[in-house]
Amino acid sequence: MMEKLSQQSGTREKFISAANRQKISANKCVSCGHLMLETVLYCEKCSGSKFEDVELEGAGTVVTYTIQAVAPEGFEDAGSYAWVVFKVENAQLRASGFLPGIHTPQDLPIGTKVRVTGFDAKHGLVLSK
Amino acid sequence: MTEKVCILGAGSTKYGKLNESIIEIALGAAKDAIESAGITPKDIQAGYISNVFGVADKQVHMAPVIMSNLGISHVPGLTIESACGSGSVMFREAFANVAAGFYDCVLALGVEKVTHTGTAHSTTLFSYCSDFFYEGGNGASFPGLFASMARAYLTTHKATEEDLAHVAVKNHENGVLNPKAHVRKKITVDDVMQSPVVASPLKLLDCCPFSDGASATILCSEEFAKKSGRPYVEVIGSGRGASPAAVQGREDITTIPSTVAAGRQAYKMAGLAPKDIDFAEVHDCFTIAEIIDIEDLGFFPKGKAAHAVRDGATRLRGEIPVNPSGGLKSKGHPIGATGVGQVVEVFDQFTGRAGERTVQNAEIALTHNFGATGASAAVHIFRKVDRK
Repeated sequence: MMEKLSQQSGTREKFISAANRQKISANKCVSCGHLMLETVLYCEKCSGSKFEDVELEGAGTVVTYTIQAVAPEGFEDAGSYAWVVFKVENAQLRASGFLPGIHTPQDLPIGTKVRVTGFDAKHGLVLSK
Repeated sequence: MTEKVCILGAGSTKYGKLNESIIEIALGAAKDAIESAGITPKDIQAGYISNVFGVADKQVHMAPVIMSNLGISHVPGLTIESACGSGSVMFREAFANVAAGFYDCVLALGVEKVTHTGTAHSTTLFSYCSDFFYEGGNGASFPGLFASMARAYLTTHKATEEDLAHVAVKNHENGVLNPKAHVRKKITVDDVMQSPVVASPLKLLDCCPFSDGASATILCSEEFAKKSGRPYVEVIGSGRGASPAAVQGREDITTIPSTVAAGRQAYKMAGLAPKDIDFAEVHDCFTIAEIIDIEDLGFFPKGKAAHAVRDGATRLRGEIPVNPSGGLKSKGHPIGATGVGQVVEVFDQFTGRAGERTVQNAEIALTHNFGATGASAAVHIFRKVDRK
């Protein structure tokens, strides 16, 4: 479900704040209705700059992913995890995040449902399944 | 565009782990290119330099430093960064300025030095080329990002990890014939499949190495090239394209929009179609990238390239040889230099300098190079000029 939000400053802070409430913060173009993640300033379809703030449920289905056997710096202590691209529920929008506890592809078939659990300064947008 | 643009000279250092400073590496390639063109630095009217991580060797603002060390400190230089696509994007700017008539003769040089930072830190540096807030910051390395594209491709098109391995095997087969290649070693499909997983489904031998190195070309007007009396190659097509910076922003993860757009522009300028290309140097940072590239460039229908590679269509004596140099996978990937290195390979092929890896009877070649996961890309098409 989409919920209207009041105006805040700082698009990334807004995205992070929403993630910590298990939501995905997005912009809906007033001119053409196209939906984009919060951090985009102009509509990618019509270049409009007026948006309606919307909050989407922080949930979706896995589109693709990788299991990072060799973790980059900052993720060495994360255990076995996946970086996941997911389609946000009830929206034509994709996002990506960090999903801990994934060891093999059998743990994460394409189409698996995932949820946003928060935004971690160290690991970014954190997901669970 | 008013002027025809030609490549009069080209040179590369060896790619690999190099001990010299980044400036010394750059100068080595510059000297080779200048000598192969039969010119002196005083003929150069502008310098175009591509580099990404100069800061790792304590040097940014690289163009004036290189020009000064060539003894032409009065010649204006420009340094360009576009991640792994820096070389081709910079080459396009050099091409455009000669084509527009601003200059008759320019140096286009790419250089990189990262291996001294170690694999872990190099991986981190490269991740800064992603849309970091969404990708690197959420734990995706570059192998991880391409692995996500590989999983999407394998799922959509019913290809296999073994199909991907054939790209690596073919490029190493070619790289063995290239004395300047970073990894000159033949490998088998089993070697690839048994190599350690880096980011599933990609394994170590699906990935190109981190490399140091430099490549340089001398671009000039047709009049300048003809007066030289030396062999040259004509640039007949040039295209640029762009894609959403983050993989999540693409409607179809099994194609790279910037490649499609750049290819269409280059084909249109050249008045040619994919069937007219005799060989191609494409951006194979990971095996899946080459599969997607050769579909996006129109050599194979969507979903068919993996099978074509497995059947040998892209080998040195195949219907469309791809990466006769060994590609990024075997020749190496000094990211600021890679796009220029592809042009050096075309020059070498068309001027009799490619030795055993020469593509027989080739007259038209294409280069393709992109930045990050394809957020930026450039495609160029070249024609062999017969000086007989």
